[in-house]
Amino acid sequence: MFHQILLQIFQKLNHERTISAAYHILRGKRSGQTIQDIGLFQLHPYFGLLPKLPREVFDETVALFQQYSWLEVQASGHYSCTKVGLQRAAQTPEFLLAGWYYRGNEHLFFGRLSLIIQSLSYHQTNTRSFTPISKDIHIQAWVRQFLLEHHYQQGHLQKQLWAECEQALKELPVCEENKQLMVYRLSGHQLPGWTWQQLAMERKETVLDCQLAFIELLHVWLNSIHGYPLLQQIAEGVRVQALLTDSAQQTAFLYEQGYSIDQIAQIRKLKQSTIEDHIVEMAMYEPNFSIGSFVTYGEAAKVWQASKQYQTKKLKILYEVIGDMSYFQLKLVLAKGEV
Amino acid sequence: MELEQLLVKHFGYTSFRPGQREIIEAILEGQDVLALLPTGMGKSLCYQLTGYVLQKPVLVISPLLALMQDQVEELKRFGEKRVVALNSFLTAHEKRYTLHFLEQYRFIFTSPEMLLQQQVQDKLAQMELGLIVVDEAHCISQWGFDFRPDYLRIGQWLSMEKRPPVLALSATATEKVMHDICQTLSLNRPFEFIYSVDRPNIRLGRMMFSEKAEKAEKAQWALQHMTTSTGPGILYVASRKRAEQYSQALLQAGVHTAAYHAGYGAEDRQFIQQQFLDGELDWIVATNAFGMGINKPDIRQVIHETMPANVANYMQEIGRAGRDGQPALAILLYADGDEELAKFVATNDLPTAHHVERYQQLQQQQLLPSQMLKNGEIGETAFRVLDYWLQQESVEQVVQRLNELVVEKYRAVDEMQKIITTKACIRTQLLHYFGQHLKKQPVQCCEICGIQYEDVQQERRKQVKDIAMMSWQQRLQQLLLGT
Ligand SMILES: Nc1ncnc2c1ncn2[C@@H]1O[C@H](COP(=O)(O)OP(=O)(O)O)[C@@H](O)[C@H]1O
Ligand SMILES: [Zn+2]
Repeated sequence: MFHQILLQIFQKLNHERTISAAYHILRGKRSGQTIQDIGLFQLHPYFGLLPKLPREVFDETVALFQQYSWLEVQASGHYSCTKVGLQRAAQTPEFLLAGWYYRGNEHLFFGRLSLIIQSLSYHQTNTRSFTPISKDIHIQAWVRQFLLEHHYQQGHLQKQLWAECEQALKELPVCEENKQLMVYRLSGHQLPGWTWQQLAMERKETVLDCQLAFIELLHVWLNSIHGYPLLQQIAEGVRVQALLTDSAQQTAFLYEQGYSIDQIAQIRKLKQSTIEDHIVEMAMYEPNFSIGSFVTYGEAAKVWQASKQYQTKKLKILYEVIGDMSYFQLKLVLAKGEV
Repeated sequence: MELEQLLVKHFGYTSFRPGQREIIEAILEGQDVLALLPTGMGKSLCYQLTGYVLQKPVLVISPLLALMQDQVEELKRFGEKRVVALNSFLTAHEKRYTLHFLEQYRFIFTSPEMLLQQQVQDKLAQMELGLIVVDEAHCISQWGFDFRPDYLRIGQWLSMEKRPPVLALSATATEKVMHDICQTLSLNRPFEFIYSVDRPNIRLGRMMFSEKAEKAEKAQWALQHMTTSTGPGILYVASRKRAEQYSQALLQAGVHTAAYHAGYGAEDRQFIQQQFLDGELDWIVATNAFGMGINKPDIRQVIHETMPANVANYMQEIGRAGRDGQPALAILLYADGDEELAKFVATNDLPTAHHVERYQQLQQQQLLPSQMLKNGEIGETAFRVLDYWLQQESVEQVVQRLNELVVEKYRAVDEMQKIITTKACIRTQLLHYFGQHLKKQPVQCCEICGIQYEDVQQERRKQVKDIAMMSWQQRLQQLLLGT
């Protein structure tokens, strides 16, 4: 699954970026460039799937792709997919990932769920002492509150939670093996979970692929959690509401108050280019944001046309072809997309 | 109320374990106490119960965050609400709140780092504490593996004018380390309780291999032994890689095994511990990361695939066997030349003269030396040691000190080797190392005196416990409905 995901990303960024861009996307790097790439190339599913992905693992996989002749990488890091590579990419299944909207928070959801289930399981057997599976004190506090609120001692909560999980999982468009995988990451009284390695061995795949399958299941689950009151509560605050980075949000605030880019840069003691990146981010994720104060309609049309004609979103090429527009303006137009 | 009554009331235990009463009484008389009790003997109870007698807050200084969390949770399980961990996990808001109400807690756990903060010291200065506990006190000794420089600074804090009694706790310490503890914490003629380190029900086995055949032969012997004899057992190895190799080989041979080392995530490590406790695993192949907090009474065997770095580690590791009092077996596999590997491992994570140089270089460039840590140029323990000494002493002195540290580690390996290669009773020598004497020799003593392996290592049961995967529906039901 990791290979397939990586192929898909490489395909979407083909000719346009360096190898590292894919790495940053998977790790969820919060930089202007990466955020813009997400929008420009429709990479939302993959953002921040593996925040801890070691560079070596990534590099090894790239080397493998080169060995298979799926990729040709230049010394500068720019690359292109070969015909075989593109064919392979076309054969990959469509994943139901939603990295952009969860950004690792799916693990918060699972952390709560698994501590709740562990507590209930131990409670049921009257075992008062156990080592909580989540060491995070915030998760622990949240779960304690949840359990008290639902009067867990009366015994209704486990039934209700079971019914919700059972029903919700049954309806998920995910294979049975992956549902099994997820429940084996849960643990309870005399029901220890299985380690990633044990699961990988059982499923005859890599640990990383197991983890990705798990993440995909959580994304699908979270997407369809509506209508399950307990689960919905457990998923509280998990889906990212503000899609802008924190810093961009502060810029947005000042911008809406009428400050110019120059002024915002001064107030925030940031470089002008940084503020411009924030504006581009806003163009991308705020549907009502108008780029009209920076570019005319005629200019925008010129960019779209050039982009089509030369089959590229590469700024450098567009910059040269068009001649009289700044990089910032080009970025804005691309970010907003064709209207 | 009598101590026994309090013991029943708060903890539900009917009698004290050896040492607990003596220690608690000494504290209540206002004495400083140094208590050495083997892991699992109930050290914590010595201050837990005292806290209910004193009616003044007990401050527990604990060097390991994970351990601290465990202790807080344990007290909560016993129904104690007035317990708090004052550590770096708290948000700024939580910390302010906790500090503000600090005197209202009965048990305050904190880390050495926290204790050195001015606001914490100021608050504590206004309070009247009943007892100060220094847990894992051996971390104070610069000779100890876990050396924590911040612990030394606590010594300075403890030398304050009017202070309550101090209770220093540790599982294993040599005389030298004990001396360090008393001096650094300025303990005032402490009452010392030292439990015998001897564990009579553990048979001390040893297998010798010649150097040439070493690798293959040793591994063969270990695998043969582990596939044919019964667990539950632990095989200690020197590296993560070896742990993986052994566990793969055992799994292929159909033995329920898991590797355990610090390379796994926290959940995975807990899953393995729990599988082991629940009897789903026969063997754990572990680096020395395994053991802390594991309390499984029926571990029958502990095997060392290669020699440990020092006698204290060895004792602690074999001490995990036979907590139920039933016969258990410890086997140490030794090949000529193993001491070289042990020396390498023991000194591998020490800071070197090169690190000293780098540290200075960064300082001269007005950069933070902790960058070395971030860049992965140096380990965490090593950096702590380096950082501490360079703030105290001149570069020459520090380099000198580091050299001594290496020499000391080598010496510790040599001591271990001496005991392994001895022609005299191994048990007697081990006790001797800790300054103790063997009072009564068990019938099944050690390799030299002659022991039987067989009656401990019964025939391996075919299937330990059925652990085929069930469907998600079934498992979900078991988890939540218990059926
Ligand atoms: N007097 C006692 N009677 C029965 N159990 C005890 C007694 N004192 C302690 N214990 C239990 O023994 C276990 C080990 O105690 P702990 O303090 O964690 O050991 P240590 O810190 O020495 O390794 C704990 O579960 C504790 O509750
Ligand atoms: Zn002997």
